[in-house]
Amino acid sequence: MITIQVDEKACVSCTLCVDACETRVFAFNDATGLPEVVNAKECFGCLACSAACPANAIDHTGVPHSMNFYYDLHSLDMLSKMTGDAADAVPAIASADVKRGLDDLGARLLSLGAVLSATLRSGLPAVGTFAGRTLANQLPRYRVPKNFEEALALAIEEFAPAWQLEPKVSGDTLTITVKDCFLRRLAQKHNSETGGDLCTLFYHYLAGYLSRMGKVRLRHTATERGCDACTYTAQIHPS
Amino acid sequence: MKAKISTEWLSGCSGCHVAIVDLHEKLLNLADEVEFVRVPVLMDEKGYPEADIGIVEGAIRSVHDREAVEHMRDSVRTLVAFGTCAVYGGPSGIGWLHDSESVFAQVYDGGPTNAGHERPDAGAPRLEESVVPIDEVVEVDFLLPGCPPSPYFIAAALRLLLDGSGPKLSKRTVCSGCTRKMSRRPGTALRKGAVTAADERLCLLSQGVVCMGSVTLDRCFSPCPQKGVACTGCNGPSLNIIREPQVDYRGVLAGTMSFLTGISEADVKAYIEAEAKTFYAYSLASPAIYKKPTVELREWAGDGHRHD
Repeated sequence: MITIQVDEKACVSCTLCVDACETRVFAFNDATGLPEVVNAKECFGCLACSAACPANAIDHTGVPHSMNFYYDLHSLDMLSKMTGDAADAVPAIASADVKRGLDDLGARLLSLGAVLSATLRSGLPAVGTFAGRTLANQLPRYRVPKNFEEALALAIEEFAPAWQLEPKVSGDTLTITVKDCFLRRLAQKHNSETGGDLCTLFYHYLAGYLSRMGKVRLRHTATERGCDACTYTAQIHPS
Repeated sequence: MKAKISTEWLSGCSGCHVAIVDLHEKLLNLADEVEFVRVPVLMDEKGYPEADIGIVEGAIRSVHDREAVEHMRDSVRTLVAFGTCAVYGGPSGIGWLHDSESVFAQVYDGGPTNAGHERPDAGAPRLEESVVPIDEVVEVDFLLPGCPPSPYFIAAALRLLLDGSGPKLSKRTVCSGCTRKMSRRPGTALRKGAVTAADERLCLLSQGVVCMGSVTLDRCFSPCPQKGVACTGCNGPSLNIIREPQVDYRGVLAGTMSFLTGISEADVKAYIEAEAKTFYAYSLASPAIYKKPTVELREWAGDGHRHD
């Protein structure tokens, strides 16, 4: 059973909650200037009203929240430290929750890969490259590598533990061997072959990241797939 | 026995220390219960004496800041990040957009007001590569954002930390304390820049001015919007924005404004992105903000050049 509390002192009478609710739980009382809960049994806990409320005045109890696996733990930790209210503290996550979350993420990645390949097969490298550059932009600036070697060292750290990278540069040729790979484990678990669209996405994700961080352009020349490791070769050009 | 309080200032403006003095007569009540053992604005204490509560204002900008906050952590029992700079990086956090070399180049090599173009190599603490809030460096026990926090909230937080009594701190937004009336005004145009609005009783959002009250935590009792100045979000994001990973200032403000005025969400978002250095000024160095769907934040707010 979901119950809804409106903080009457905080409410600013904007009627956004009345408008946001798909199941018409609220009615606006013009005399008091407050929303009234008139249809509580119709509430299914989508929290659209809470999200729309400019005053953070609507609270729900009895709504099953998603696992905190999806939340940023650092941000959740800030909440109770900001109000002094232990009720806002971070609930502990069990390792079983983490495993469920990872399985869920794996399944989502597979379906995302299927959708992407059906809709934009030839655009996959572009999607991967964009995602890699976005990752590079997102890192705090105090980790800016001074040269391509430092970018490679940083990439090894950033991509672990999902991907174990072993890059090698000789002249203007870059060879990256990927040993322990999250995607290969995923493929083995779901009995699909490696080297599919997710692998294409991954390579361009890595290359996009490296080219932004190392300030170079990478032209892909060859891919070798083995049962324990894949090796990607690319030519390095100055950007 | 009196509880001991030690304070320290890092990269900030010292306004938060002045805000403690703004407790006025409450400061006298406080003096019965606490003893200040280190306050840089009042006392000449060079060391870091042991204390029960440590109050730190300012962000980590230089090596000195990092060492000072580590000494504070070692010498106090409860550490409070005091003010928006300590909690989110604050305006100093804009340094997060640039590396230290380009900051030096801009200010000392090319700065029009620096005639000799000399860099202060000696006698000044070295700048770190970036700016971070203090909880990125040490474990913090309590966060009191605000620029500065209102004396009411300072007193409430100290009450809570001293003996656990008193109310918990507000979870509301700046809107909840504002007396302006939020209502629908379809057909209103978006008003850009540092502008106010004609109607003194109507919500600024309803009049097309982008006010950040609805996405900002209340640690101030909303003085600005009530005086006709749009909220700039100096207390940092509201609790629902911190909690929900996918919720960002842009989306919430665009949704609310478009409901109230009929201005398209895309227009509001484009305006906020174009003026990101203003709208994200206080919190962009905090992972609570830059890990959101704000992936291009550095490009919106940075020098405007893209790398590809």
